[in-house]
Amino acid sequence: MTSEVREKKIKTNGIWLNVADKGDEGEPLVLLLHGFPETWFSWRHQIDFLSSHGYHVVAPDLRGYADSDSPPTHESYTVSHLVADVIGLLDHYGTAQAFVAGHDWGAIIGWSLCLFRPDRVKGFVSLSVPYSPRDPNLKPSDLFKSFGDGLYITQFQEPGRAEAAFAKHDCLTVMKKFLLTTRSDFWVAPPNTEIIDDLEVPSTLPDWITEEEIQVYADKFQKSGFTGPLNYYRAMDLNWEILAPWQGYKIVIPTKFIAGDKDIGNEGANGTIKYVKGEMFKSIVPNLEVVVIEDGHHFIQQEKSERVSQEILSFFNKLRNITE
Amino acid sequence: MDLTFTHRFVKVNGINMHFAEKTPSFTDNGASRPPPVILFLHGFPELWYTWRHQMAALSSLGYRTIAPDLRGYGDTEAPESADAYTSLHVVGDLIGLIDAVVGGDREKVFVVGHDWGAVIAWHLCLLRPDRVKALVNMSVVFEPWNLKRKPISMFKSFYGDDYYICRFQKNGINILQEYGEIEAEFAKVGTERVLLEMLTYRNPGPILLPKGKSYDDPVSLPSWLTEYDVKYYVSKYEKSGFTGPVNYYRNMDRTWEMMGAFSNAQVKVPVKFIIGDQDLTYHIPRTKKYIHDGRFKSHVPLLDEVVVLKGVGHFLHEERPDEISKHIHDYFLTF
Repeated sequence: MTSEVREKKIKTNGIWLNVADKGDEGEPLVLLLHGFPETWFSWRHQIDFLSSHGYHVVAPDLRGYADSDSPPTHESYTVSHLVADVIGLLDHYGTAQAFVAGHDWGAIIGWSLCLFRPDRVKGFVSLSVPYSPRDPNLKPSDLFKSFGDGLYITQFQEPGRAEAAFAKHDCLTVMKKFLLTTRSDFWVAPPNTEIIDDLEVPSTLPDWITEEEIQVYADKFQKSGFTGPLNYYRAMDLNWEILAPWQGYKIVIPTKFIAGDKDIGNEGANGTIKYVKGEMFKSIVPNLEVVVIEDGHHFIQQEKSERVSQEILSFFNKLRNITE
Repeated sequence: MDLTFTHRFVKVNGINMHFAEKTPSFTDNGASRPPPVILFLHGFPELWYTWRHQMAALSSLGYRTIAPDLRGYGDTEAPESADAYTSLHVVGDLIGLIDAVVGGDREKVFVVGHDWGAVIAWHLCLLRPDRVKALVNMSVVFEPWNLKRKPISMFKSFYGDDYYICRFQKNGINILQEYGEIEAEFAKVGTERVLLEMLTYRNPGPILLPKGKSYDDPVSLPSWLTEYDVKYYVSKYEKSGFTGPVNYYRNMDRTWEMMGAFSNAQVKVPVKFIIGDQDLTYHIPRTKKYIHDGRFKSHVPLLDEVVVLKGVGHFLHEERPDEISKHIHDYFLTF
């Protein structure tokens, strides 16, 4: 399935990123941005599908992950750094405007790309994570405090804490706890419990992923560790500070939001999907399509790979005035 | 020339910002169209006050003129954290100010910048081109972001450790109780003398501040700087100090790091650029060539006009206020 995926190291924004690449370089470029805690491998289905439907697909291991460089401190993991990495990739490929899809943290990078460099984005698909406009009066760490210490984001703040908690399990187990989760609450652990201990591994694998595929992740994280990925969370307050220029900004680029109805944060009346379909969101992201996939959980582009592939393709094709 | 201004405060981006305002005393066509807004951005070591002549002239021509003290300066709050002075912080302030002043329609404003204000204006145009109708920028050209040119190490290699920007770098441990290195030296020299040295600097060469430099030679005021002007600057700087302003220099590397997304980006806002031929910035090696051989325009494709004023130094808008006001009005009239 991934036999024709090329992997190469590209220098961008002063660091080396490992980049998976498939398809005809003359075709329009699709940039796929993975989430936490993943690698370009999460996009394996979309890489194959989109490259066989007329696109040149590029999927990096993001800064801090797998075979890409991992700067030591969290200050080097702001959205300004991550967006600059992406721009460097687009410059490397000579792409003036790219189609972009992002999942989880990759979606946050995609939204940030729409702020910093809307001129470089033809259309953006966000999986799981909507655009969160900045609240000028509420820093992220203050918002998280209201969820208590059990919130996974809070537990990810202190350097070393989550790393030590994860290290109590082997990497394969850690990956299973994340990838196979079916929780749709906001991931708050009970008192005195680390989230990694609270997440459960199901007794059987679901049909959308194999033991070998999970091992691919485990091998990468065994080598590169979790500090780089966790640094994204540790830079959230800094992100809030530097996103002040886009206070009140409307994202008018064509965008599409796709999420499973059982994704993290969709439990209850005030879930993510309700927010995305609401008036407030529409006023800041007016050019938006929303797709909710029934029975879908967080790692949606793997769990519902065909559906997600089709939704991404049809959106990008529509922007190119191509209809099936 | 009527030099009365309204002074206002507004809470933006977590700080209390002071700005001076001068609006037309008439409505130019009697209709409900609001007067166009000009946002003036001062440099170092100045204040809103540097724009007094332009605000007076342009408000009488029908513009609503706004000049803030930038973050860390004058009567605007100076955040304690030395890290809170990147271009993204300052542009965040200005977006908040524009929203507060112009209202909810997200309209564009005219911008005029000089020195650090020009740097901020270039970054405002990169980050939020949708808010700037046109820009008159002065003294400091736009140069595209360059991965190989991290600011402080670049200055150090060009001009050495005594270059003022290099001398400004060393921070204090505790901003409230201990000065950074340069603040302590400034305190010894005295606020008035420091300001006079900078405001009257007319050497086309780079500013070097070797330790133990003598500040004993008498300084004579140029024609455009009165005792009253000096007193005004001194009174404000004695109150708010130099740490805020100097922190901008201390964040140049951080700003550079965070602007990496704009590698190869052009400024896509209409621009008129004005510089004095005695300005030290005009004498930075290769700058004259850069301005006139087409490269400046290649990075600022909507650069409509470059004006070089003969015999004029760094503080051009104070030296030739009427000329500068006319340049600004003539340009903004075309929009």
